[in-house]
Amino acid sequence: MSRVSVPCHVKGTVALQVGDVRTSQGRPGVLVIDVTFPSVAPFELQEIMFKNYYTAFLSIRVRQHTSMHTPAKWVTCLRDYCLMPDPHSEEGAQEYVSLFKHQSPSMTFPKWLSHPVPCEQPVPLLEGLPDPSRVSSEVQQMWALTEMIRASHTSTRIGRFDVDGCYDLNLLSYT
Amino acid sequence: MESCGRSATPPGLEGVALCRRCPVGSNSAIPPGHHSQDLQASLQRPEIKLESLKEDIKEYFKISGWEKKLQNAVYSELSVFPSPSHPAAPPEHLKEPLVYMRKAQGSWEKRILKSLNSMCTELSIPLARKRPVGEQKELLNKWNEMGTDEPDLSLFRPVYAPKDFLEVLINLRNPNYENGDSLSFRTHLGLIQVPLKVKDIPELKEFFVELGLTTGQLGIDDSTQVPPELFENEHVRIGQKVLAEQDSAAAQQYIRQGSPTALRAELWALILNISSQPEDILYYEQLKTNVIQHDLLVDSLIYKDVKLTASNDDYYFVFEDYLYQVLLCFSRDTSVLGHFAYNSASPPKSYIRGKLGLEEYAVFYPPNGVIPFHGFSMYVAPLCFLYHEPSKLYQIFREMYVRFFFRLHSISSHPSGIVSLCLLFETLLQTYLPQLFYHLREIGAQPLRISFKWMVRAFSGYLATDQLLLLWDRILGYNSLEILAVLAAAVFAFRAVNLMEVTSLAAAEAVLADLSTLKVMPLLQIFLFATVT
Repeated sequence: MSRVSVPCHVKGTVALQVGDVRTSQGRPGVLVIDVTFPSVAPFELQEIMFKNYYTAFLSIRVRQHTSMHTPAKWVTCLRDYCLMPDPHSEEGAQEYVSLFKHQSPSMTFPKWLSHPVPCEQPVPLLEGLPDPSRVSSEVQQMWALTEMIRASHTSTRIGRFDVDGCYDLNLLSYT
Repeated sequence: MESCGRSATPPGLEGVALCRRCPVGSNSAIPPGHHSQDLQASLQRPEIKLESLKEDIKEYFKISGWEKKLQNAVYSELSVFPSPSHPAAPPEHLKEPLVYMRKAQGSWEKRILKSLNSMCTELSIPLARKRPVGEQKELLNKWNEMGTDEPDLSLFRPVYAPKDFLEVLINLRNPNYENGDSLSFRTHLGLIQVPLKVKDIPELKEFFVELGLTTGQLGIDDSTQVPPELFENEHVRIGQKVLAEQDSAAAQQYIRQGSPTALRAELWALILNISSQPEDILYYEQLKTNVIQHDLLVDSLIYKDVKLTASNDDYYFVFEDYLYQVLLCFSRDTSVLGHFAYNSASPPKSYIRGKLGLEEYAVFYPPNGVIPFHGFSMYVAPLCFLYHEPSKLYQIFREMYVRFFFRLHSISSHPSGIVSLCLLFETLLQTYLPQLFYHLREIGAQPLRISFKWMVRAFSGYLATDQLLLLWDRILGYNSLEILAVLAAAVFAFRAVNLMEVTSLAAAEAVLADLSTLKVMPLLQIFLFATVT
């Protein structure tokens, strides 16, 4: 099954504030980011990938349409997933993160985040002799690898730093 | 070896000549160092059976010593390279994940390049030039006594000194971290203002558990008053066994309690996975040829550094000639470029004269991408006590540099990077010696201004050599430089009484000027495990 990235529209962040009071000093600790999927047919979401920037905990809620007759409802997929073990220090602050659908707790499994792909069954081992063609190809791969390594060995070892014997330089470059 | 006909080869098996099935005989020990041809030849012997092929190969590895070599090589890779990151992370993320640190390192590098360029133009000396044949011959003749040369280096100045670097670190700011410009309870009391995660004493006690009071240590339990039967003899015996087994991981664990002097050279080589093969000696000779052929501006910087530091040191001046050989070859070694994959720094770039901007004429300068600074030669000097064969000394230094020393002069968020070490030092002092810290701040003697130079040089040139080697044992054993920050704090703790009485930065410097009488292991042990908190 091949995976493709789904085009999405990420809206600007909205701060959650208590009541209507806008204070300049108080910094809200919770921001909301809306992500919509305009004009896309229903799909099976496998993975959400993003780069963090100083978010400590992440919750994800999805609004799913189950059928034409029931109204769409909001379901929490992920609650307070920890991205930064110590929010006051840099750990995890700018990391790349992937969230997979199996990380959602199964009781709130929305319909389109449905059945996980069944794992491939391991090939049953034949009793007695291993399959000769398989052994042969594995051994061939091994020889090919050793030959490759041996061939590349000498060329990378003594690296040349000059260009055709010339190392007459200008000044150091800033770019 | 009897010839095997291929008539009975099972269908589908090409490339492997198997014939009659015979019981697997146990081979006599195949000496290690065989190449794959011999492995191929061995597997074509008639004793090999198809169904046990996998086991036979494994057995061959074990008997020939290759299994151990593979394990050591894998262990070495695991120790050096960072763990695999997210597939979407670009290469610069692997060098340094925090964008503001990458930018700061980039700015710092630009300053260094400008400094080197202006030295070049002011002195009208090219960055690199090919030596005329006569000069090449001359250098070859006095290769082993380059120290006797007295070139005029008065016009050269080091590209930077540790204190210049400290100023850059002090000005590091995380743009997303608001702590106000004015002094408030949120600003850090020390000089480092970035919120990196550092270990506290309970975490350090766990990390350095083998340094605890109930574990024997070389540097403590081998002193003359302690009978050797209590610890030293057994420890030496275990060390010899570890060397016989040639197991890197075991050696690394063992050396946490210190290395016996007689075993240290071999143990370090084992941990760093260095074995002097003929190709390594050849490689070193090739580097030497490169030095003979081309003269680089950085060579003068190296000369000047050695003359200013190691040559003036009572312990190291005898090794002056070795230092030139190692450092000049180091500058030509392009294999060092590999470490920039996980170093936040990047190698300086230049173009062949007249080909500015043409990528096929782009080169790195110096060839290894490392511009030495004032004190750089002190990374090599202590190793001269352990290794006397130049190519081995060279290999050990190179490995120590790409594993550890590079972190001491580049800006990164790594736990063993100099920024983290500075913050660890300051935090330890503030937390466990708050009165001392406050007093020193009040008199204008920020502790980091004194301890920074110790940590940047990994204490080389400040401690007595036997103590330094015991300290570097632990750097290898724990695969971390954090012990440098702990020792720096422990030194302040040790001299706290005197420091509380001083009233100026100069007086504080004087109290801490001479560390040559210190015994590092008792200091570390007391600070970590015996200080009432």
